[in-house]
Amino acid sequence: MTNPSKGRTGMIEFRGVNKWFGPLNVLKDITLSVEPSEVVVVCGPSGSGKSTLIRCINGLETIRDGDLVVDGQRLGDPATNMMRLRTEIGFVFQSFNLYPHKTALENVTLAPIHVRKIPRAEAEKAGRELLAKVGLADKVNAYPAQLSGGQQQRVAIARCLGMRPKIMLFDEPTSALDPEMISEVLDVMVAVAEEGMTMMVVTHEMGFARKVAQRMVFMDAGAIVESGTPEEFFSHPKTDRSRAFLSKILRH
Amino acid sequence: MIWQQLQSLAGSYPLALRGLGMTVVLSLISLVLGTLIGFGLGILRTGGNRLISGVIGAWVDLIRGTPFLVQIFLIFFILPELGIELDAFSAGIIALTNLAACFICEIVVAGIRSVPTGQVEAALASGLSRWQRMRQVVLPQAMRIVLPPLVGQYVLLIKDSSVVSAIGLTDLTRVGWLVVQRVPNGLLVFFLIGLGYFIVCYPLILLARRLEQRIGAAHGEVQI
Repeated sequence: MTNPSKGRTGMIEFRGVNKWFGPLNVLKDITLSVEPSEVVVVCGPSGSGKSTLIRCINGLETIRDGDLVVDGQRLGDPATNMMRLRTEIGFVFQSFNLYPHKTALENVTLAPIHVRKIPRAEAEKAGRELLAKVGLADKVNAYPAQLSGGQQQRVAIARCLGMRPKIMLFDEPTSALDPEMISEVLDVMVAVAEEGMTMMVVTHEMGFARKVAQRMVFMDAGAIVESGTPEEFFSHPKTDRSRAFLSKILRH
Repeated sequence: MIWQQLQSLAGSYPLALRGLGMTVVLSLISLVLGTLIGFGLGILRTGGNRLISGVIGAWVDLIRGTPFLVQIFLIFFILPELGIELDAFSAGIIALTNLAACFICEIVVAGIRSVPTGQVEAALASGLSRWQRMRQVVLPQAMRIVLPPLVGQYVLLIKDSSVVSAIGLTDLTRVGWLVVQRVPNGLLVFFLIGLGYFIVCYPLILLARRLEQRIGAAHGEVQI
C-alpha cells in the first residue's frame, strides 16, 4: 500500500513532536508512525494529551517542534496546502458538531459540493447511500436537533466518509452518548475499519479496541508511555501507570 | 382656535408628506448601505487580522462614543474645509450610513462570536475555505442571534435620522420646525410629527418581536 516514491513513511508520522500550551508541555517528544489501513487506538487519563495528539494531524492544533508528516506532506511546510490535506482527513468530534441549520443529508453533502465540486445530484445520491450505510436512510431530511446523540454521531461519520478520506480521526466519539447508543456508533466504526480505512481513535471503549485495533497507544502527561498490540497491552501492561489506568477502566 | 390651527395644519399636508418621504428615503438608503458595510466590517473584525480588526474596533468605538449631531456637523461643516464639498443630502447619507454600519458591525460581531467553536472546527476539518465557512456555516447560525437586535437597531436609526434636520435637510422633524412657525401649537405639531415616526417604526418593532419569538421557539429547524 505504501507509495514507494515517498519512501517508507507511514500515513501519519510523528517525529519528536512537541507542543506547549503556554508553559504546559502538552505533547512531549511524540514519535509514532501509523501505516496505511492501520487502526490505532489512543487511550490514557484525561488531560494526557490524546485529543491534542489527533487534533494536530489535521491542523486544528499546531505543533511547536518536531516533524509531523501526513500522507507524505509535512505540516507547517509552506508547500503543504492545509485545506487540501484536510479534505483527505475525516474528523469525528466528541460533541458531533453537526451543522444545526442543515438536514442530515445537507450535512453530508456540504463539503463534497463546495470543496470537491461534485454536482449536487451526484453528491445527494452518494449522501443518501452513506446515510443508509450508517442505518439512517429514514432520517435523510431530519435536522440534528430531531436526532438522538447516537444518530447524530452516525451522521457525523457519514459526513466524513462523504469526502472519501484516506484517514479518519475519532476524538472520543462515544463519550457524549447515553450507554444504549454507544454500540450503534461503534458498529459503524468497526465497519469503516474493516473497509481498510487508516484510523486513529481516542476512546476508552476497550471492546472496540480488542476487536479492530492493530495497536494500542497509552498516553500519560503528554507522552506516549506504552504502545503495543491490544493483546499485549491488556494482558501484560508494561508500566505501573498503564496498569493503574487499566484497573480503573476495566473494573466496571 | 384649535379648529383654525387644524385647518392650517391640513394645508401643510404636502410639506409633511415630503418631509416623511425624505425621512423614509434617507433611512432606507442609509440602512441598506449601513447593513452591507456593517456585515462586511463585522466579518473583517472577526477575521483574525489583528491590524484590520483593531482599526475597525477603534473606529466603531469612536463613532459609538460621540454624539451623532457632532458627527454630522463634522461631515457637513468641517469636510468642506478640507476641500470635500458635500450637499446636505449626501452628508446626511454618509453620516447615517456610517453610524448604522458601526452599530450593525457590533451586532454582527456578537452574532458571529455566539457560534460555537466546534462548528468552525467541523467546517475547517472538512476542508471548507474561510469564505465557505462564513457563508455556509457561521453566518446562517449567527443570523438567528443577529436578526432581532438588527431590526431593533433599524428603529433607533430611523429615529436618529431626525438629527439631519440640523444641517437643513427637510425631513419630518424639520417640517415640524417649519410648520410650528405658522401654527403656534408646538404640542399638536410635534405630536403629529412623532406620530409620523411611529407609523414608520411600529411595523419594525412588531417584526423584531416576532423574530425574537420565532427564534426562541426554534430548535434548529428554522432556516433564515
